[in-house]
Amino acid sequence: MSRQKVSAEGQVGSLIVSAFFVVAGLVALYDTLSYTDRDSQVFPQTVAVILIICAAVSFITRFMRPTDEGGFGQGIWWRRVLLVATMFLTCIAMPLVGFLPAGVIAFVGGLIAAMHDRWSVKNVVVYWGAGAVVMVAFFALFKFVLHVPLP
Amino acid sequence: MLKKQLLKYAAAVAICATIGTTSAAELKGPVSYIIPFGPGGESDISARFQQPFFKEKFGKDLVISYQPGGGGAVGWASLNGLNGDGHTIMGVNLPHIIIKPAQKDVGFTTEGLNTFYMFHYTPDAIVVTADSPYKTLADLVADAKANPGEVTMSGSGKASANHLAQIKFDKLAGTLTTYVPFKGTGAAVTALLGKQTKAEWGYTTVGAKQGDAVRMLAVAMDERHPLFPDVPTFRELGYDMTGGAYRGIALPDTASAETTKLWSDMIGEINNDGDFRKQMLDGGFAMLDVGAEDMEAFMAARVEEYLNDAREAGLIK
Amino acid sequence: MDFSQFVAALTPFNIALALFGVVAGTVVGSIPGLTATMALAVLVPVTFSMDPASALILLGAIYTGAIYGGAYAAILLNTPGTPSAIATTFDGYPMAKRGDGDLAVALACFASVFGGMVGALALLFLAPPLSKVALAFGPVEYFWLSIFGLSLIASLSNGNLMKGLAGGAFGMLLSTVGVAEISADIRLTFGSQTLIGGFGVVGALIGLYCIPVLIDLVAVPDRHLKVEENVKSVRIGDAFRLAMRSKFNLIRSSVIGTLVGILPGAGGSVAGLVAYSEAKRTAKPHQKFGEGEPDGIMATESANSATVGGGFIPTLVLGIPGTPPDAIVLGALLVQGVRTGPVMFTQSGSIVYTFIYGLLIATILMLPIGLLIGRYAYKSIVTIPKAVLVPTVGFMTIIGTFSIRNSVSDVIIMLCLGVFGWVVARFGFAASPIVLGLILGPIAEQGFVQGWTIGAATKNLFGMFFGRPISQAILAFTLITLILPIILARKKARVGAEP
Repeated sequence: MSRQKVSAEGQVGSLIVSAFFVVAGLVALYDTLSYTDRDSQVFPQTVAVILIICAAVSFITRFMRPTDEGGFGQGIWWRRVLLVATMFLTCIAMPLVGFLPAGVIAFVGGLIAAMHDRWSVKNVVVYWGAGAVVMVAFFALFKFVLHVPLP
Repeated sequence: MLKKQLLKYAAAVAICATIGTTSAAELKGPVSYIIPFGPGGESDISARFQQPFFKEKFGKDLVISYQPGGGGAVGWASLNGLNGDGHTIMGVNLPHIIIKPAQKDVGFTTEGLNTFYMFHYTPDAIVVTADSPYKTLADLVADAKANPGEVTMSGSGKASANHLAQIKFDKLAGTLTTYVPFKGTGAAVTALLGKQTKAEWGYTTVGAKQGDAVRMLAVAMDERHPLFPDVPTFRELGYDMTGGAYRGIALPDTASAETTKLWSDMIGEINNDGDFRKQMLDGGFAMLDVGAEDMEAFMAARVEEYLNDAREAGLIK
Repeated sequence: MDFSQFVAALTPFNIALALFGVVAGTVVGSIPGLTATMALAVLVPVTFSMDPASALILLGAIYTGAIYGGAYAAILLNTPGTPSAIATTFDGYPMAKRGDGDLAVALACFASVFGGMVGALALLFLAPPLSKVALAFGPVEYFWLSIFGLSLIASLSNGNLMKGLAGGAFGMLLSTVGVAEISADIRLTFGSQTLIGGFGVVGALIGLYCIPVLIDLVAVPDRHLKVEENVKSVRIGDAFRLAMRSKFNLIRSSVIGTLVGILPGAGGSVAGLVAYSEAKRTAKPHQKFGEGEPDGIMATESANSATVGGGFIPTLVLGIPGTPPDAIVLGALLVQGVRTGPVMFTQSGSIVYTFIYGLLIATILMLPIGLLIGRYAYKSIVTIPKAVLVPTVGFMTIIGTFSIRNSVSDVIIMLCLGVFGWVVARFGFAASPIVLGLILGPIAEQGFVQGWTIGAATKNLFGMFFGRPISQAILAFTLITLILPIILARKKARVGAEP
């Protein structure tokens, strides 16, 4: 039962990704029609055609001969989502609250997402302490040594 | 005409510099000077020339950083969102800031940029290698007339100062040359030196940098460049062409009038330093002194000129 | 040329500068998003108060160190610290995963020092004649060089050529987004101003390589890298023996690196890819490139380090900077009042030679420093608990991407690319072909458009693309690289089929 489920995920996912590339190629081709300079058209058009052909061939061969290759595999979804979501959140918060506070969001999110050990007082203190040191050190390096205008 | 203007500007700035006290007190720390291109171009070199003079005169560091992307558009589109307290400035280039917004919506407008000083320009010039059969501009024009389209000329980018100059000259001379766009002046010069193209549309700076390896056929100035007394101007040869790529500096539009004035005076003071001028002229640049108060008129004239050229060239509608 | 310049380079002050430069450069290079360009730009004002030769030595040492430092992140985190280290990930990360990360780091160090020496010696002895290479390479040659680089896709796509090619084409499409480099259009932005600047290479590298690693790391409780029972130190002895056995590979890759470094339009990333491709083409049957083959790391690292010396050849001889860091060095020299270009070797000869000796000294210093920092980097990556490693690297990707152009939208683009890259890689579209397309796309496009324009103007299109000797040579190598494996596979199959 579970085996069948994995195979469906790999098959359908691969078809969707191949189809996405075909669509991306078509969209690019459409966009090139609005260019005023022939020099800007040649390359994207050629490449888009290659993309469409290759992605279409992948799609067709996969469709004709289904396999269970591909798929998201094992792994804990909430951890993946938490990691990426907190990183995006940091970007949104950055202009509002400043770089360092926003960075804390991503750091905490990543820490919780990657925390597979048991939570203990010692762990918590050490990890959070290390996190604070790392962030402040990087912040200082970029802001004051390299003069990057961090918000 | 241009020279007279320049003299007037220079005089005005000199007066400002003597009357207005340049109070560096308003600058509290290092200044971030953003170049919206990669390193190595004319914008970068001239900014590097300013750097030590700024430190010496006003005691603060000028920290240069590069923010390339979109032919400068990324930087200029972000400028007005930056802090306007006078600690962030950005290089601006003509014709870029005029042509780009006229083509498409690129996130900034020419008028929206708070340009407070135009400090130099690089006059257009036709450059050939030292062993080229084109000894004079007349040779090149004759070849272009005999073999329409076969004279290839490299240049930096399209809808750029080089490209506009090529189109303008073709029209004035009644020739048909082929313009080959390269990524930046460096690549265009490499193509010329490697004889991939027969000539290059460049600037006087190319002649200064390459020395004996190249020969300039004509420069688009009112009078000959002091560094190249033997190179004629286009006008001397009967082609009414002056101009090039102009470079200046802008502040975010949130900057107060006082901050703008302070900066205009500071850059003006550097521009009037004899050593700085000499360094710039030796590098092939031509000086320009347009301060904040004269900017509007200067820009209006350039906008009209460039948009006219670009429209005739079919680069914008 | 005499040895007085060598002695001049050997002052304690200059050696201290070289030491500092190599250390700082290595650290900068190992952090994805921090580039040599940025470090040099910040340090240029410091050099105003030095004499020109010392200034050059400092800047050159930072540049050398940064190119080597890029290997750490490539090996230990599958993320090239600098674009030059892209091909280092191909074999470096698999080696680290199976527990040979210490060996890989030491190999990278040996190869970098070797390549750096070859590049610097070429600069010392052969600069004026070699600078002609930069001029002999026209648009068409760049076009064919990029096609040669793209032929690597065939071997990077893990047996599914169509998916690899689709990825490569997609990467090339990504490279056209934004304001066109040499034509006058704004492409594929769909009205968005965020996309006008296009996909920056460094940001895209961080997204496509690093984010998927992080996503995979958090999902399972296993350790990041496999660790041998008793980690004592970087395996210097093993690495040295391996390097000695591959001396031919090292020499060939260093020569490739020097030559590609001379080309102003190519750079360290292309050099690494070309050298990797050549090492793979000439591989012995038992070598499995892409699965942790030491020769893969050595080829890339020696080639990209050789581009440092190679890149200074056109910079100093012709006044044409090969790479952005070269351009900054050139700018610093101009401010110092040194006239670069054709006159430099004659007028400012002593400065030039002191600088070249300084570069050599810096490269030699890289051996102990590189091994030391490498050991520290490896140990910390291996021993840091995952719950600290992941957020630290994540934080680094954000701050690094931000600082390239001081833009939050670049970070968002990086993250989107990362998630996208992770998803498509799960279904057979690997990240490397996309990256190859992104890097080589602009070179291919510009070369093609310029070659076509010139060819059409001189009414000799065929001769333009196929008639020039260098083009023909590159084309021949491309065909051999593509066709030879097929023939060998057939032959092997036939031999295998016989009883």
